[in-house]
Amino acid sequence: MKIEVKSWKDPVLLAAVAPLAVVMIAFFLVPLVMTAVLTFQTTQYYRLAWSWDLKIWTEVFSKPHYWTIMLRTVVMALVCVAICIAIAFPAAYALATRLKTFKTQIQILIIFAFLTDAVLKTFGWILILDKNGVANWLLMHVGFPPDALNLLFTPAGTMIGMVYNLVAYPMFTIYLSLVRIDRDLVLAAYDAGASRLRTFFEVTLPLSRPGLYSGAVLVFVLSLGAFLEPKVLGGGTAPLASELIRQSFETRVNWPLGAALTMVLIVTGALMLGLSSAFALRRRSAPGRPA
Amino acid sequence: MVSPIIDAAGIVKDYGSARALHGVSLQVGAGEFVALVGPSGCGKTTLLKILAGFEEPTDGRLEIEGKDMRGVPAASRPTRMVFQKLALFPHKTVADNIGFPLKLQKVPVAETNDRVRGMLDLMHLRPDYLQRYPAQLSGGEQQRVALARALVSRPGVLLLDEPMSALDAKLKKSLQAELKKLHRELGTSFVLVTHDLEEAMMLADRICVMHGGHVVQVGTPADIYYRPANMFVAGFIGETNFLPVDAVRAGNGAQVTSPLVPGAGAEIAAEHIAPSLSEKGTALLVRPESIRIVRNDATAAEWTLEGVVEEYFIKGSSTQYRIRVRGLEAAVIVDLAGSIVLPARVGETVRIGFDPTQAFLLSE
Repeated sequence: MKIEVKSWKDPVLLAAVAPLAVVMIAFFLVPLVMTAVLTFQTTQYYRLAWSWDLKIWTEVFSKPHYWTIMLRTVVMALVCVAICIAIAFPAAYALATRLKTFKTQIQILIIFAFLTDAVLKTFGWILILDKNGVANWLLMHVGFPPDALNLLFTPAGTMIGMVYNLVAYPMFTIYLSLVRIDRDLVLAAYDAGASRLRTFFEVTLPLSRPGLYSGAVLVFVLSLGAFLEPKVLGGGTAPLASELIRQSFETRVNWPLGAALTMVLIVTGALMLGLSSAFALRRRSAPGRPA
Repeated sequence: MVSPIIDAAGIVKDYGSARALHGVSLQVGAGEFVALVGPSGCGKTTLLKILAGFEEPTDGRLEIEGKDMRGVPAASRPTRMVFQKLALFPHKTVADNIGFPLKLQKVPVAETNDRVRGMLDLMHLRPDYLQRYPAQLSGGEQQRVALARALVSRPGVLLLDEPMSALDAKLKKSLQAELKKLHRELGTSFVLVTHDLEEAMMLADRICVMHGGHVVQVGTPADIYYRPANMFVAGFIGETNFLPVDAVRAGNGAQVTSPLVPGAGAEIAAEHIAPSLSEKGTALLVRPESIRIVRNDATAAEWTLEGVVEEYFIKGSSTQYRIRVRGLEAAVIVDLAGSIVLPARVGETVRIGFDPTQAFLLSE
């Protein structure tokens, strides 16, 4: 099949792309520019004052409080990525290569869990993590002292919720990478004299890299914006960036500050993504190499 | 055979309740080129996988280089495989692909580089390909890299799983010639799986024809072509003709008559009779090239049949006719030497003749 490469000026192509372009411009690009513009304004008596100065940015850069929260958000996101990959890779590997009997049933369960509303799932964790919850009850019955776990309203509680809500993304992307690996490549490695472990590191792992990267990026971006989990399971003890931004907009009614913090979060995320993709590209820099 | 490098006896392989191999035995001599041939599902690939160590036989004994292979994993066997779809590692360069078996054996880097370069020379690949990735090579070049990777560790046996089935006809021919040359130069035993008997005849010292999980016949290409064990083997090699006959054993030979050729009988000598001949469904195998169109010059020994030309194909060196003969289910195929003047046209009634004593007597 020959696919004709057309100029971007082709009217049919333009018409096909137009609706998406309009939506993206109206609801992504314009608000982004508006946010950036907002950061150069100030507030007086809870009202926006058009001033065009760097007052807000001076405040953002001079208060370590904001940067503590930003740093905490990035660290939480990175830890979340690490835990999610550590859980998702073995699970995806088992689903793709080992499990045969209950494969479909397990996949359906994962999809159900994934599609269930995140608010519901997050509140569900309270029942488990609470001092008098299921987790402590179980631990007590196997001989631990009462109140062995004290996870609710701690960063650990937040992390459990984030991992639970996000772990399905890398599971899907890694699974898709793994099932695309030709079984003969594994046999070829055995045939060449490689042990199972060696084959995993020489063949399976490098070839599942696209799924690993895309899964990690998804988890990272979604973790940066985590809002529900720190609120419900973290109990506001260690707020993350999204909570800080919410407070700026809602509680303090300081829209320029909220906008500036939003920009910081966006730039941080974009920087991390740029760095990681540069890293990924450097390792696969060969031309014409299949992704 | 002095000491076979591969000695497989009574190999049985079951997949669940389905039996893929029914007690197959095969010996491959050191430096021999053996082809496993048969239609899809005949068990040839299963047998190859058992030799490679990718599958464990359900029953039977397999020795390679005199050692029992029971429980020996693929990685520890003296065999190397060239895969049907080549299975080159897409994320490794040509150099890393070819050098992979040496890297696993912890061969020093300098020696590895030398041997990889040596393989590249042997396979007529350009040295600047070393840093390329498999996707940047043509199909034929990938084929050579796959061969190089399999041969670099100097295996005792090279297993080839239809590695040329994906190539176009011209490339296939040139690689077949190279493969044969390679085999002669290296002295390694080759076991080739193919569904193409013509390819097997071109390349192999001996051919093992398989059908439905059984070995039907093992023999030299000449054996397979001129002395097929039964009608399956005879028909598998290409289009041919079977003339149903009644055969009566007479000493070592046989006396045959055909209801289609009334009044004529023929004496078939012992070397023209399949050893497995049974009473049922005996037929004369008459190769298309041994039939001619008879005008008024039929010899006394010849059997002649009358038929109508159904179709002809000009192949260049020969012209193939399909002639419909009353009383025969399939059209008779006749290969005549090519000539400027067509010997017969479609719809024409012709008389064809052949010498039955030069035909081969076999049964189903």
